[in-house]
Amino acid sequence: MNLVIFIFIVLLGFTSYYFGRKKAYSIQATNTRLTALPQFYGYYLAIWCAIPAFIIYSLWAIFEPSIVKLIILSDYSNQGYLDDELNLIYEKTKSLSRGQFSGEITTYLETSAEKYLNLRSIAQNSKVVLILAIIIASIVYGYKRISSNNRTREPVEKFLNAVLFTASLAAILTTIGIVFSLIFQTIDFFKVIPLFDFIFGTHWYPAKAFVRDASEPLDPSMYSDTFGAVPIFAGTFFIALIAMCVAIPIGLMSGIYLAEYASTKVRQYAKPLIEILAGIPTVVYGFFAALTVGPFLKDIGTAMGLEVSAESALAAGGVMGIMIIPFISSLSDDVITSVPQSLRDGSYAMGATKSETIKKVIFPAALPGIVGSILLGVSRAVGETMIVVMASGLAANLTFNPLESTSTITAQIVVILIGDQAFGDPKTQAAFALGMTLFLVTLSLNIFALRVVKKYREKYE
Amino acid sequence: MNKNKEKLLNSRYRAEKRFQFYGKSAIFLALLFLTIFIFKIFSTGYTAFQKTWLIVPVTFDAETMYLDENPSKEDLEDADYFDLALQTMFNLDKSASEKQQNDLKRMVSYFFEREIKRELLNDPSLIGKTKDVYLTASDDLDQVFKGNYPRDLPEDQRRVTDYQLKIFDQLVEQGRVESKFNLSFFTYPDSREAELAGIASSFMGSIFSILVCLVIAFPVAVLAAIYLEEFAPKNRFTDFIEVNINNLAAVPSIVFGLLGLGILLAVFQLPRSTPLVGGITLSLMTLPTIIIACRASLKAVPPSIREAALAMGASKMQTTMHHTVPLSMPGTLSGTIIGLAQALGETAPLILIGMVAFVNTIPGSPLDPAASLPVQIYIWAESAERGFVEKVSACIMVLLGFLIIMNLFAQIIRHKFEKKWS
Amino acid sequence: MIKINSKNVDVFYGKKQALFNINLDIEENQVTALIGPSGCGKSTFLRCLNRMNDVIDICRVKGQIIINDFDINDKSCDVVRLREKIGMVFQKPNPFPKTIYENISYGPTIHGMAQSKNEMDEIVENSLKKAALWEEVKDRLHEPGTGLSGGQQQRLCIARAISVKPEVILMDEPCSALDPIATAQIEELIDELKKDHTIIIVTHSMAQAARVSQNTGFFHLGELIEHGSTDKIFKNPENKRTQDYITGRFG
Ligand SMILES: Nc1ncnc2c1ncn2[C@@H]1O[C@H](COP(=O)(O)OP(=O)(O)OP(=O)(O)O)[C@@H](O)[C@H]1O
Ligand SMILES: [Mg+2]
Repeated sequence: MNLVIFIFIVLLGFTSYYFGRKKAYSIQATNTRLTALPQFYGYYLAIWCAIPAFIIYSLWAIFEPSIVKLIILSDYSNQGYLDDELNLIYEKTKSLSRGQFSGEITTYLETSAEKYLNLRSIAQNSKVVLILAIIIASIVYGYKRISSNNRTREPVEKFLNAVLFTASLAAILTTIGIVFSLIFQTIDFFKVIPLFDFIFGTHWYPAKAFVRDASEPLDPSMYSDTFGAVPIFAGTFFIALIAMCVAIPIGLMSGIYLAEYASTKVRQYAKPLIEILAGIPTVVYGFFAALTVGPFLKDIGTAMGLEVSAESALAAGGVMGIMIIPFISSLSDDVITSVPQSLRDGSYAMGATKSETIKKVIFPAALPGIVGSILLGVSRAVGETMIVVMASGLAANLTFNPLESTSTITAQIVVILIGDQAFGDPKTQAAFALGMTLFLVTLSLNIFALRVVKKYREKYE
Repeated sequence: MNKNKEKLLNSRYRAEKRFQFYGKSAIFLALLFLTIFIFKIFSTGYTAFQKTWLIVPVTFDAETMYLDENPSKEDLEDADYFDLALQTMFNLDKSASEKQQNDLKRMVSYFFEREIKRELLNDPSLIGKTKDVYLTASDDLDQVFKGNYPRDLPEDQRRVTDYQLKIFDQLVEQGRVESKFNLSFFTYPDSREAELAGIASSFMGSIFSILVCLVIAFPVAVLAAIYLEEFAPKNRFTDFIEVNINNLAAVPSIVFGLLGLGILLAVFQLPRSTPLVGGITLSLMTLPTIIIACRASLKAVPPSIREAALAMGASKMQTTMHHTVPLSMPGTLSGTIIGLAQALGETAPLILIGMVAFVNTIPGSPLDPAASLPVQIYIWAESAERGFVEKVSACIMVLLGFLIIMNLFAQIIRHKFEKKWS
Repeated sequence: MIKINSKNVDVFYGKKQALFNINLDIEENQVTALIGPSGCGKSTFLRCLNRMNDVIDICRVKGQIIINDFDINDKSCDVVRLREKIGMVFQKPNPFPKTIYENISYGPTIHGMAQSKNEMDEIVENSLKKAALWEEVKDRLHEPGTGLSGGQQQRLCIARAISVKPEVILMDEPCSALDPIATAQIEELIDELKKDHTIIIVTHSMAQAARVSQNTGFFHLGELIEHGSTDKIFKNPENKRTQDYITGRFG
């Protein structure tokens, strides 16, 4: 039904475009000068026809369900039901009205279901009537405007401009969305777990915080020594460090080699090949780390008499490093190529060798840009999820031994949220608090890195 | 003095050599990783495209199926094939003990009943006759046949019994084991049994997610880019939008998963585990990528084109829509495809919005629960059975295949259609 | 005395030939000016003399360039040592993004010329003094070289070039980015430097060539049309094209 209305509005929009244009031609036929091209008359009418209708349509779609729910549940008020139970009743009512309910049917439920169906049909009818009325009214208005040969191009363009502007807000809305999705849960979490315990606690066992029965009151003492995030902060930092130990030397040196030494031919093939590493999905790296690298390191370790966990931080961090190589190499390649040739010439003319020129002139000149690219790499390492989830441990050990397993912020978020989530439970909220931490850390890294890189670009432009 | 100089010069040249060597080694290492990686995936994955069948003689005995004489089509549909199927397996070794019979039964997939039934439905005249039927071998035997399963382990450490191996070897000798192209890998949904698991459900899940992502992200991103590049006044607010976009492009994907969970599922009550929610989440992630690509290619359109159109009396909006935007489309499209390829490989956000649920049906719309290819990789990689290892690699090959095609496509669009302004 | 002797030098950029059979001798401890219309190959020739053309991938040089009885285009020639002996100053000042001190000490450091910090300080001071920059920068030696004015930057580059005591200094339009006062300072400096160094300077200004040089070579379309003492070239050139160029009838 909704789809029918939707299609109806769209079709009507097209029709009114056609009529608007026709009207313009008929005005033209009377030898009157048009205020704009005939199409604009069409657009104008189409906008008038469709947009108010769509607005009503969407508002209706947003508010109808909650209003219906309110009305249905008003029958059950004053009966001492808890919120969760009321929700359940409503769900039951809905499925009963669809005839999909398989459970004990009470008379209460039956009346509710009937009422529900009734309400829905009233709502549906009044929606159709309202939308039709709106469409007629706005078409009449629009048609009158164009009949008297009013300006049409400006309003149409203003409208388009408004659409463009709205679209450009999407990025801001997404950011706001991220903040909102994180902040409420985070605040709720810190109502139960003191911020201090979270930041300085050294025991992280979210499994201990079993999903609580919603009807029981919350007892914060239950969670003491459960959500101390130091082990996972340390693990995140440590794995990122291992990753950067792999990525920085290899990425930087290959970036330098590609920019300064490689012949055009080598560059032409090697650069895209290295960049393939960046296009491989992280879950694939995770599989590789878990299936190949982890056991491989374990075997080597055993052969050398070392105790190596099959899910060692080294395996996860090392593979993550491989993933980050291309980011560092292409960014530093870009940065180095944008160092002006005159500096190179100056150095060569002094009798410097190529490597001296690179180490003493180009590298210092490109340093801000390189630092920026490394920071972006760090931010990737911190936010990387799948490799850690698959290749590193899920238990948060506080360790700096690369051969043991440890866990990270991202891995813990997945561990907590995989499967069923109960909103309102500290365990779920903990994941959001971790997400908030992650967001803040990567955001500051990014802002800082992007600013450094931008400053650097401006210097040589 | 001159001697010293000579020495210094030599050491400088050695340093130069060393530095070049480091550079070459770095490139070599990076390429080596890539090679090992691809080699590993292919060498473990290619066997998944073959499937092992046991060719077993089935005697379609009407009595075992409790059928009357001259059964109708419906009778055949409703007949009980289980006893027949069991009997077929037991016939492989008439002297088997009860435990061994159980082993015999487990040499084929639990689909064996259906496979026999299909055979009969295809040709009802088989009743009373005996025919060789292809039955899907169990995943363990499949692995044994492909040589992926170490047979020399002690019996209690492997999932195939000595007895099963003995019967299996007999069948091999009789030429009753055959390996054929594994079509079911592409047409079956996920399953708990490795020999029956396919990528159809996750593949459709991926397609639906990407379509939803495209439908949302592309128009919004292009409109936003047009506004920011062509119409936006240069002020603090548009600067803010710009900073926002750049940062959003670097926010870890899992945060978008939290957004999907906390807003789309919790607030808007959209259905869990569906490609719809997955697609919306991915679209928010892809948005900045497309905006940045589109802006770059709008920027590349030389101002002279705009000036020419404006000088003809076109309005700013007409100039943009008629000239600038069409000229920028190749760059935008190839950026979009690259963004979609990234979205296609994304796993973590989809896990958070519940697309890891076990789905053994093929989704027919974005509103049906589904997994996606990368999530399928994750799910299979986490399962213990040996049979899934090759499936994971094969699934990775399919996924990488798609990514390569998409990237090539993006390259082609860029090189073929993009105008070079000089 | 002849310092540099070039024989049959051809230069190609890819397929395109930029210099045709150049034979030019450069006198020791004198200033030689190279003049000619834009694109005629003056810079290309100058860059042959310290093999800076090696930096350009597509560039090939043929023929002999003999400095101190040694063909620098020979395989056995070591560019690093060659460039230590033959300094260069570029059209646009290109100080390294480092401090003034580091800019000067760069060459002596890589060539291992100073054994101690004191020695280095001395080299830096002397070079700056020779480049007539010492007074202006002696209090800010540890500030970035890029913070100087254009003329100061160019003198810094000259100081950098002379810090390794080269025998020859190549200058490619060293004054083109400078105002008249800075230009005058540099010209004065060139006159001073020729006592210790052989100088080759490319310039677009006839007046400058006449003022600073003892010898002049005129290039046109990749060929060396005429060369000889500056007096002769400017007062009575043999070739018609030289005459036309000097009197401003083309170019
Ligand atoms: N890197 C290069 N690649 C290709 N061709 C070049 C390159 N550098 C110079 N050329 C060509 O070689 C010829 C000589 O150039 P060169 O720079 O030596 O001229 P010039 O006399 O210094 O001119 P100007 O007075 O403008 O500096 C020109 O035709 C130029 O196009
Ligand atoms: Mg020049």
